[in-house]
Amino acid sequence: FLSDVHWAPLEFLWWTLSLQRQMMENLIIAKARQAALQRKMEERRLRLQEEANRRFSTNATLTPEEEEQRNVYASILEFEQDHEWPKQWKLKLKSQPNDLILVGGLVSQILSCPEHPISQLLKKLQCRIYSKLYPIVNTHFSDQVALTEPNAGTGLYPAQSQCLLNTDVKSSLHKGSRLKSSKSACCLGSVQDHVKNNTSEKNSPFEDLEQDMMKFELQPGSIADNMNLAVNSGQQILETEDMQLQDHLKNIVKDVHNSIDRLLTLCILAFEPLDSATGKDQCLASIEETFFQPIWMFLLALFRKVNHSREMALDKSLKLYRTAGPADVGVSDKLFPHKSTPSIGSYPYEIAVQELRSISKEFCPQKKLECIVRTLRLICDCAEQYCGSRQSGALIVSAIGADDLLPILSYVVLKSNLTQLVSECAALEEFIHEGYLIGEEGYCLTSMQSALLYVESLSKE
Amino acid sequence: LCLPLVSMAVPGRTYCYKVVLLGEGCVGKTSLLLRYCENKYNEKHITTLQASFLTKRLNISGKRVNLAIWDTAGQERFHALGPIYYRDSNGAILVYDITDEDSFQKVKNWVKELRKMLGSEICLCIVGNKTDLEKNRTVSVEEAEVYAESVGAKHFHTSAKLNQGIEELFLDLCKKMLAVSQAEEAARGTDPSRVGNARRGIQIIDDEEPQPLSNAGCCPPSS
Repeated sequence: FLSDVHWAPLEFLWWTLSLQRQMMENLIIAKARQAALQRKMEERRLRLQEEANRRFSTNATLTPEEEEQRNVYASILEFEQDHEWPKQWKLKLKSQPNDLILVGGLVSQILSCPEHPISQLLKKLQCRIYSKLYPIVNTHFSDQVALTEPNAGTGLYPAQSQCLLNTDVKSSLHKGSRLKSSKSACCLGSVQDHVKNNTSEKNSPFEDLEQDMMKFELQPGSIADNMNLAVNSGQQILETEDMQLQDHLKNIVKDVHNSIDRLLTLCILAFEPLDSATGKDQCLASIEETFFQPIWMFLLALFRKVNHSREMALDKSLKLYRTAGPADVGVSDKLFPHKSTPSIGSYPYEIAVQELRSISKEFCPQKKLECIVRTLRLICDCAEQYCGSRQSGALIVSAIGADDLLPILSYVVLKSNLTQLVSECAALEEFIHEGYLIGEEGYCLTSMQSALLYVESLSKE
Repeated sequence: LCLPLVSMAVPGRTYCYKVVLLGEGCVGKTSLLLRYCENKYNEKHITTLQASFLTKRLNISGKRVNLAIWDTAGQERFHALGPIYYRDSNGAILVYDITDEDSFQKVKNWVKELRKMLGSEICLCIVGNKTDLEKNRTVSVEEAEVYAESVGAKHFHTSAKLNQGIEELFLDLCKKMLAVSQAEEAARGTDPSRVGNARRGIQIIDDEEPQPLSNAGCCPPSS
C-alpha cells in the first residue's frame, strides 16, 4: 500500500491518530496503577516509620501500643516460667535456626496454645478488625445469610480454628481478664463509630462474630450469590458513601498490616533465634495463615463492596461468553485440542480451571497466591501437551510466551465463572508483601489481573 | 562474558531487577528469551511458566544480579494492559522486527509511555530482531540508532535464529541497571535503614538459595 502515492499520507494520518488515542487511554490506566502502587509503598513506609518512632522514642511516656507490647512481653516471660515447652523449642531453634519446618511448628504451637500471651493478642487483634468490619458486613450480609441454612460440619472452613476463636472470645469475655476489658472498650468504640450504619445495637459484636462464623460455613458459591444479592440491593449507594467505604478499606488494610507486624515483633522478641531473614519469613507466613483464617470472609466482603462495579462487568462477560471456546478469546489454534484429538477433561484446560476455582477454599493470601501460580503452571503444562500431541516427533516444543498465555488465561477465567476473583485479586495486591511481587508469584498475579481486566472489557464493547 | 567472579563478590548482597519485555506480536520476543536462557550454564532457567516468565542469575564484576524477565502480550487487544506489567520495572527491552516498520513505530509509542510513567531511571534497550532477514529490512539502521540515542536508550541488533547479539543485550542492560542502583545508593548515603525501602523494587537481599513455591519470590521479604 505504501507504493500508492495518493493513499499513503491518509493512511498514515489515520494510523497516527488511532495510535494517539490508544496512548492516551494507556496513560490514564498507567497513572492510576502507578498512583495505587505508590500509595501502597508510601503507606508501608509510614507504618514502618510510626513503628520505629514508637520503638525508639526517648520519651518516658509510652504509647498505648507500646505499653501493650511491653505488657504482652512481660506476660510471655511469666508464661515461660510456668511452662516447659518454650524452653525446649528455644534449644531446638538454637541448633537449627534455619529449619523452616521447625519455625513453622513453633509458631503454630504458640498460636494454637490459648494461654500463650501471643495467641491471646492474636485473638484480640482479630476481634478488633472484625469489629471494624462488622457494621458494614453486617448490614449487607445478615438478611441474606439468615435465609441460608448453616452448613455445619461440611463447610470448607476449618472448624478447629473457628472453635478456637469462638471459645477464646467467649472465655475472655466471661473471665473478666485484662484482655477482656480492653477488647470490649475497643469494640465499643468502633461500633459507636459506625452506629449510623448499624441497624441493631443490642447485640455484642462477639456474639455476632460467633454466629456469623457459623453462618459463613457455606459453599463459596452461595456466598457469592448472597453477595450479588446484597450488592444489587445497594445500588442506590451514594458516591460519598463510596468514598467512606474506600477509606474504611484503607483503614482496615492498615490495621491488618499493623497487627501482623506486632505479632511478628513479639514472636521474635520471645524467640530470638527467629531473628534471621529466613526465620522471619517463615514466621510471618505462619502468622498470616492463622491470622487471616477466621476473618478472610469478612475482609473479602468489604473488598467485594468496594469493587462492586468491576465485579458486575465481569459477571456480564461471564454470562455473555458462557459457551465460548478457546478460539473465541483468541487462543492460538495449536494450543487446544480439537474434536478429533483425545484430551484430558471435558473441555480444554479443565484442570487449570478447577485449580483456579479452588482459590475460594483458601483463607490466607499466600495460599491464594500459590493457587494462582499453580493455575498458570497447569496452563503451561496443558498447552505443552496439546502442542506436543499435535506435532509428535518434533524435537523442540516451542515454549509459550505471554502472547499465548494471556488468551488462555482469559479463557480459564471465563470458564472458572468466579465473579469474586476480581476482589480476591484486589485483596491479594494489598496483603501480599511487595517483595514477592517481583518474582514468579508477582508475574502470575499480574497476569491474572490483566486477564480479568480483559475479560471485563469484553462486555463493555 | 559474565563468568562468576566469586573472589570479588560482596557477600550477602544480591540485586534483584525486573525487566519487562515489550513488543508487538510476532517480533520474536519469545524466541529471544528462549535463546538467552537455553544454552547457558544452567538449563533449568526455563521455568514452569515456560517463556512468559524467566529468571536468570548473573554475576557482573562481582555483583550478584537476579533478573526476573517479564514477557508481555503483544496483541493489540491486550495493549491497554501494559502498565500493569511494566510498573516497578528497572529495565525494559523493546523489541521490533527489522522487516516490519509498523513494529518499530509501536516501540516508539512504548518508549514515550514508559518515559512518561517511569521517568528517566528505567533503563531502556531497543532491539531490532531478525537480522538474519537483512535483505528484507525496512527499518534503516541509522534511523533506529538515531532514534534510540535521542530517547536515551541503547540500540541492539539481534537474531534469535542465529543466536546473535542476545547475550550482549542482556549484559549491557544489567550493567546499566547496576549503575542506576549504585547511583541511588550513593545518593542515599550509607543510611542502611533506607535500603529496604528502595524505590521501585530494587531490592538488596541477603544471600540465600532460591526456595520452592511456598517462598518463591525472587526477593523474599526480609525487612
